[in-house]
Amino acid sequence: MLYGIAFYLFAMVLVGSAIAVITAKNPVHSVLFLILAFFNAAGLMVLLGAEFIAMLLVIVYVGAVAVLFLFVVMMMDVSFADLRSGAMKYVPIGVVVGGVLLFELVIIYSGWKFSDAMELANPNDISLTNTEALGHILYTKYFFIFQMSGLVLLVAMIGAIVLTLRKRSGVKRQKIYEQVNRKASDVIEIHKVTPGTGV
Amino acid sequence: MSDSFLIEYLPILIFFVIAGGAAIAAVAMSYMVGQQNPDPEKNSQYECGFEAFAESRSKFDVKFYLVAILFIIFDLEIAFLFPWAIVLGDIGMFGFWSMVLFLGILTVGFVYEWKKGALDWE
Repeated sequence: MLYGIAFYLFAMVLVGSAIAVITAKNPVHSVLFLILAFFNAAGLMVLLGAEFIAMLLVIVYVGAVAVLFLFVVMMMDVSFADLRSGAMKYVPIGVVVGGVLLFELVIIYSGWKFSDAMELANPNDISLTNTEALGHILYTKYFFIFQMSGLVLLVAMIGAIVLTLRKRSGVKRQKIYEQVNRKASDVIEIHKVTPGTGV
Repeated sequence: MSDSFLIEYLPILIFFVIAGGAAIAAVAMSYMVGQQNPDPEKNSQYECGFEAFAESRSKFDVKFYLVAILFIIFDLEIAFLFPWAIVLGDIGMFGFWSMVLFLGILTVGFVYEWKKGALDWE
């Protein structure tokens, strides 16, 4: 009973906010609705017993990806009225892409059979929680995949720096080492000035 | 899945209700308790005495984006630490050193971005 109420609440808010993402006039509102959708998807994951996935959704998607989306939306230096006026000419290709996607979904769904062992999100050993079950295999059995994910993150880090880091010239910054190592003799000259001749 | 499973999440629901209630109360109380004397001049926008020149939307520096991307990467790194911390007693030394190697790889990246000055704000 309670489970059903929770499921339909999360599912309805999820679908509603997903619709609001594409219909909201202001892109910033779209991103906020997207965050609401992420939260509700996390709630659905909790209902499935996949608490770790729910936590990842909140930490990674809500905490970080949504912020990036917000940055992109705010960085767009265009008026949204202009953006909207030319949107109609993309309708044919949008209909084609959406139609293909819908067709694929219909194919998948018509061939879908729910098995009796529905609790796929749970580990075989029911005494373990979702997170424990992941931890038992991720760091030992899937050692190489785990290390590869570390390398992927490293590449992402270096790529982001290489692509976006620009050094600006003419910016005064603190260089402690150079500042401490300055000697008075390097920067000060003392001249004996006799009157009437100048330096 | 039974309802008893959901009862475990009751404290979180209570937290949400209290947090939401406190947020609503803060706005509602100030609305109700404070004196309301609306006036066209009071309600008009004020920006140092003149109307806003342009929209608040303008080009951001890409540096903000870089900081956000670097944040996501370390965010993901932390997400990997949670299951590890839970099962650390069971996976033994191999599991421990597996995570140390993972953290080491990311520390290489961290040293790179530190030395490169990506964390400096000029």
